[in-house]
Amino acid sequence: MVNSIFLQILTGLQLGAIYVLISLGLSLIFGTLGVVNFAHGAMYMLAAYLGVVISAAWGWEIAIVLVPAILFCLGLIMERGLIRHFYTRPHTDQILVTFGLAIVVQEALKWYFGANNLPYPTPDWGSGIARLHEVLPFLDGFVAYPKWRLIVTGVSLVTVAALFALLQFTTFGLVVRAGMRDAEMLRFLGINISKRFAIVFAVGVMIAGIAGVFGGPVTQVDPGVGMVFLVPSFLVVVIGGMGSLPGAVLASFLIGLAISFSADIPALANIIIYLIAIVILLFRPRGLMGQKGVME
Amino acid sequence: MSILEIKNVSKNFGGLAALGNVNLTIEEGSIHSLIGPNGAGKSTLLNVLIGLLEPDVGTVLFKGEPVLGKKPYEINQMGIGRVFQTPAIFDNLSVLENVAISSYAARDKGFSFNVFETPKTARPCIELAKETLQELGLYEKRREEAAHLSRGDKRRLEMAICLANRPDILLLDEPTAGMARADTENTIKLLQNISDRGGITMVIVEHDMNVVFSLSKKISVLAQGCIIAEGEPGDIKGNPKVVEAYLGESQE
Amino acid sequence: MSTPNSNFYKKDIVPVSIFALIFLTMPLWFSWIGGYGGLDTKIVIWVIFAVGFDLLLGYMGYLSFGHAAFFGTSAYVTGLMLLHYSDNIIPAFFMGVLAAVIMALIIGQLTLKRSGIYFSILTLAFGEMLHSLVLSTLQDWTGGDNGLTGLPTPMLFDLKMQGHNVYYLAVFIAIIMYYLARRIVRSPFGLMLSAIKTNPTRLEYTGVNVARYKLAGFVISAAYAGVAGALMIIYEPYVASEFMGWHLSGQVVIMSVIGGIGTLFGPMIGAAFMLYFENVASVALGGAWLLVLGLIFMFIVIFLPGGFVEAGRKVRARFFGGAS
Repeated sequence: MVNSIFLQILTGLQLGAIYVLISLGLSLIFGTLGVVNFAHGAMYMLAAYLGVVISAAWGWEIAIVLVPAILFCLGLIMERGLIRHFYTRPHTDQILVTFGLAIVVQEALKWYFGANNLPYPTPDWGSGIARLHEVLPFLDGFVAYPKWRLIVTGVSLVTVAALFALLQFTTFGLVVRAGMRDAEMLRFLGINISKRFAIVFAVGVMIAGIAGVFGGPVTQVDPGVGMVFLVPSFLVVVIGGMGSLPGAVLASFLIGLAISFSADIPALANIIIYLIAIVILLFRPRGLMGQKGVME
Repeated sequence: MSILEIKNVSKNFGGLAALGNVNLTIEEGSIHSLIGPNGAGKSTLLNVLIGLLEPDVGTVLFKGEPVLGKKPYEINQMGIGRVFQTPAIFDNLSVLENVAISSYAARDKGFSFNVFETPKTARPCIELAKETLQELGLYEKRREEAAHLSRGDKRRLEMAICLANRPDILLLDEPTAGMARADTENTIKLLQNISDRGGITMVIVEHDMNVVFSLSKKISVLAQGCIIAEGEPGDIKGNPKVVEAYLGESQE
Repeated sequence: MSTPNSNFYKKDIVPVSIFALIFLTMPLWFSWIGGYGGLDTKIVIWVIFAVGFDLLLGYMGYLSFGHAAFFGTSAYVTGLMLLHYSDNIIPAFFMGVLAAVIMALIIGQLTLKRSGIYFSILTLAFGEMLHSLVLSTLQDWTGGDNGLTGLPTPMLFDLKMQGHNVYYLAVFIAIIMYYLARRIVRSPFGLMLSAIKTNPTRLEYTGVNVARYKLAGFVISAAYAGVAGALMIIYEPYVASEFMGWHLSGQVVIMSVIGGIGTLFGPMIGAAFMLYFENVASVALGGAWLLVLGLIFMFIVIFLPGGFVEAGRKVRARFFGGAS
């Protein structure tokens, strides 16, 4: 009994772990820059593909470092080259251009790699199962869990912690947090917000990259995966509250747990995230932790 | 006969009392000005009247009907019109279309699903819109895109939009803010004309004392969220409490 | 002396006639440009879809990423009617469109209260929810992944709906829908939609029940999607689960923007172009056709937001002078 509940919780956390990284990036970018990045799921997908290629060519250790770095640079290029020009344009244009980018990335990957799922083997040190009953006394009997899934969850928690530390304890973070509340004010104060915007965007994309390189073996690696993750990530952001980072974290794990605990009823598990979103929309439109008036 | 009654309205923002037990009665057909130093709560009061803000306590009755809790469009349909401080117009539409929207709104009481409407049935509204444009001197520019108008013309368009649905009361938030002398004089004349035609009450929040004293039948002075004086222009001019409120404020 | 009404009606004669002419004669000349039978019907169906979509995006200013919900709902209901009730297309068509309208009333209530961004995200989400429902929860009814198969040949009384019959039915409906859209856009109702795009707050303070107009606009555009969805099943009696998917929602967005939103005319061109491109030009490009189209789409969003229509205007101004 304890076993199954524990496993369900673990699975829920692991599901939430991937959502949390993607939605954190989305929320960060939206909260600071006011841009809704429809290409964010595609960034996750791109990172997964890069992970496949680089881990096969140069090994996993390199992939873990290189893929997020590549995505960081990509984020910088995207912001400077494309997104920046859309700050003053209507919101629909921003959505359209990032949507277009998502399509282009998706189709480019499909054209180059084909439409099928690419195998993405985990490294030796991450493969196999972890014998949880050896470490956790309250478990009864033999309880195993795939090692890699534990690693993904761990990486996700570490990344979340690092992001929060960055925002709480650095000057950069202070400026970003202030910018999330009132970007206009910062401009008046003469703080060069535009350079920081580029970095914020790049950080958001990089986090999606971390999710991709680690999450790839767990989720599929095919050209459809970007969109598959975009919708739930949007919903997580909506449920948690647009522009609220803690909200995104809370909502991610909540959703993950909800899906995990409803897994016995597949018909429910597939739509539970939508049901939760509808309930939130009806009764608490600002989300769990959103500020009132944001995006009304 | 009072048309607008504000009773015991209080509003707090955090710990700050923006409005403290405000009682105000507006006479039908009059021009009633609301003055006071900065931060007195004048804009807050206006915002309560048009449905943008809910007070913590108090009631507002318009023609005997409660106003609070109603949606902004419902409040407008009751007969309360608001002239925005910065002209809020429909940039991409023509001047005539801007005003026509207002007359359609009045005719349809907020909504009409008649997607097949023809010019014949729309004609009365268009005529009303054209009349309003003529009153405000914008008729010649009726086909121009609203975004291309000069600032003064935009203000007049703003006024035209408000007047086209024939409100019973017009709330004006600093109508002459930032205007040059000549424009202010024109605005005073325009408001006087509109009032003289009858059938309309005006509540004006203003800083320009020239405007206030030329137009108003009655003046209420607001300071730190409370009405500290009320009366005809003569009573207010030399009123020591009023002077103190303004001077006291400027000494800070 | 012509009354304003007769002038008003006259304005529609030329455009609708040209529209009718092009589409009524299309089967004759379509093969010269590489088109094959059946593709013309699909183009007409997507034209209907895109025109309705333009009312929402181009005129009211709301970008929906979930219009497949209405196309798909109508498609499934039409299919189910044909399968379980009668092969007569009239009740099937009617129920299909009705279902789309009801779906729009529900989804509209939940999504329109928010701003544009929120709206776009939520419509995407609802579309995917329906997609998910159709694939798993309701698969006993919908055939899940395989779609709804085994539908009878649709009949319009004694007439089999196949080949040219379907084509001309679709064109007939398209002409009506196009005319309707023109009338909507030029009515006071249409003016309100444009005002919503320009300054919805001001509109509210001018005594307009903006929420209701938004819902009405949304439902009308969903009805167009519903008509298109029903026609699609009458044309090809098979309901694919993709009809509910975001891919379809995305396609109508892409074609409308490429053509030029806010013109009614633009999205039609976009629809024809995209379908032509997908089916004919892709022979040369193979699997990369959507990649190329995506690049074209991005180019237009960045540099030529008015789409082909804007491009046409610029060309005309360049070569023929005069006001652009």
